[in-house]
Amino acid sequence: MQKVQKIYKVINNKKLCQQFFHLCLKPVSAIPEIKPGQFIHIKVSQGLEPVFRRPFSVARAGKNVEVIYEVVGKGTEILSQKKPGEILDVLGPLGNSFCKPPKGVKQVVMIGGGVGVAPLLALSDVLKGRGYEMVLLYGGRIKGHTFNMRTFCKNGCKVYVATEDGSVGIKGRVDKLYTKIKANAKETFIYTCGPRPMMASVAAFARKHGVQGQVSCEEVMACGVGTCLGCAIETRSGYKTVCDDGPVFDINEIF
Amino acid sequence: MNLSIKIGKTKFPNPVTVASGTFGWKEKYYRLADVKKLGAIVPKTITLHAQKGNPPPRIHETPAGMLNAIGIENAGADAFIQEKIPMYKKLKVPLIVSVSAHSEKDFIQLIEKFNGVKGLGALELNLSCPNLKKKTLVAQDPKATHRIVKAVKKRAKMPIIAKLSPNVTDITKIAEAAEDAGADGLSMINTLAGMAIDVKTRKPVLGNVTGGLSGPAVRPVALNIVYRAAQKVNIPIIAMGGIATANDALEFLIAGASMVAVGTMNFINPSAPLEVLAGIKKYMREQKIKDIQKLIGSIRT
Ligand SMILES: Cc1cc2nc3c(=O)[nH]c(=O)nc-3n(C[C@H](O)[C@H](O)[C@H](O)COP(=O)(O)OP(=O)(O)OC[C@H]3O[C@@H](n4cnc5c(N)ncnc54)[C@H](O)[C@@H]3O)c2cc1C
Ligand SMILES: Cc1cc2nc3c(=O)[nH]c(=O)nc-3n(C[C@H](O)[C@H](O)[C@H](O)COP(=O)(O)O)c2cc1C
Ligand code: FES
Repeated sequence: MQKVQKIYKVINNKKLCQQFFHLCLKPVSAIPEIKPGQFIHIKVSQGLEPVFRRPFSVARAGKNVEVIYEVVGKGTEILSQKKPGEILDVLGPLGNSFCKPPKGVKQVVMIGGGVGVAPLLALSDVLKGRGYEMVLLYGGRIKGHTFNMRTFCKNGCKVYVATEDGSVGIKGRVDKLYTKIKANAKETFIYTCGPRPMMASVAAFARKHGVQGQVSCEEVMACGVGTCLGCAIETRSGYKTVCDDGPVFDINEIF
Repeated sequence: MNLSIKIGKTKFPNPVTVASGTFGWKEKYYRLADVKKLGAIVPKTITLHAQKGNPPPRIHETPAGMLNAIGIENAGADAFIQEKIPMYKKLKVPLIVSVSAHSEKDFIQLIEKFNGVKGLGALELNLSCPNLKKKTLVAQDPKATHRIVKAVKKRAKMPIIAKLSPNVTDITKIAEAAEDAGADGLSMINTLAGMAIDVKTRKPVLGNVTGGLSGPAVRPVALNIVYRAAQKVNIPIIAMGGIATANDALEFLIAGASMVAVGTMNFINPSAPLEVLAGIKKYMREQKIKDIQKLIGSIRT
């Protein structure tokens, strides 16, 4: 009944690093073009355990659709067992997408926390070669949360890493890297996705310097298509759905 | 094969519909040709004035089901009539508008507003609303149920369906009260009261503290309630509660329901309502049943 419901075939599902998996899927039939920031809603098991689909940002979209995920519970555990050739029932692409940097922007700053870095990779794929100075500030808790950032580098991003235990990059949270932000109100634009406290700190920094930006948010989801109103998030203009109005919001809408 | 069902004066082309609050049909997501195959569409409950809904988290996954405490977030009756009704009318699927109110007066105002809308299939009264004089829901009190249904029925131009709650001691008392008051049909069940606690923080998971349980987990409870009500009343019943497959739906029809609605499972498998419809047809062909009326209430005990 939904035109967004499609069958995808697992091409690859491998560990990207100690904590993250990289899932590569191929839609069996044509799907609409995926924009950076959009997500797919995967039924990880055929039965009722777990019941809900699981939402994942698209990390790369081309011939295949790629996802980077962390095993945090039963759904992602089941997903991590999928073998090449298996098929998955997927809704997508869903949700809105990151905007283009406004006119006059020279420095694009992407700030990712943990697996929240995934949609930023898709963003860097479309922003590369457009003359922006691109910077990725990445924060992971431990070494196991860091992975080869080659793809970001290939897209022309300068990559800076912080880990809480100092095992990779500088020691501390990602806010230690804010010095890399030029913070020119007209020429800098921030995109961020990660744990809520991290995004709140980014928002506070942005507000202090008058810099604009967007956040990609998370809430537990049921339908994924704006029907159940279960994924409501409080914004300055009332409750909105993360799945349909979001997941991308103006940074000042949320924080 | 005759699949059509009548509730009051409204005829529905087939017995498969969707439960209030669980189905949307935004064109960017849905194939309208498929939506048109439904026997009826029931949008989310509308209240007289806009309601902003409950604070998040509003949903929580449970074994084979979910808890929700959405808080009837909606734009209010006027906005619904102006912005949504024209789109629903274009679909040409019978529309059952679900309404709820906090008082008899508000229910009456709602009815008067919808009386002005031509071509509505029926009005479903979501009676899982506070019963102002007592600390219960209207749907938990036979007298309050009778009073509201009667007041509405006196004024409504369209058939009236009373949607009942499973959170009662004896469903037959409430079902009979609604029938006595003139209801043209019953919808059951709404969600079962439930809650979940995060043991790490010792806080309730839902922003509203408690919520309603739905999904396959509640199906046997719903079936029993529908069966018991169907034994007592003569008006048609729209059954819901965990329906995921045609087999589930057939259980409800055999127990005495005239129509079946897919709720929570719309979120998991958007094709469920059409799979249910196809499965009912297949069963009727195999069982050589030409008229759905022969299937309804055909339980052998
Ligand atoms: C729009 C969107 C995009 C997302 N993109 C990605 C992505 O690219 N990669 C990725 O690894 N994850 C992503 N997530 C989060 C992912 O959906 C959850 O981690 C996943 O649903 C957890 O399922 P589970 O069954 O493994 O965990 P569960 O057993 O359901 O829960 C385990 C733990 O994870 C937490 N959790 C559950 N669901 C969520 C959620 N939606 N957000 C945050 N925490 C959650 C629970 O509170 C619990 O503490 C995204 C979420 C959203 C809403
Ligand atoms: C997210 C959600 C929202 C709901 N909203 C409404 C509503 O607005 N009005 C109503 O009468 N019932 C509402 N319900 C209850 C359903 O219509 C249905 O009665 C119940 O969920 C049982 O069916 P199911 O198990 O198939 O979901 C809602 C249920 C869910 C899960
Ligand atoms: S998940 Fe249902 S509205 Fe967002």
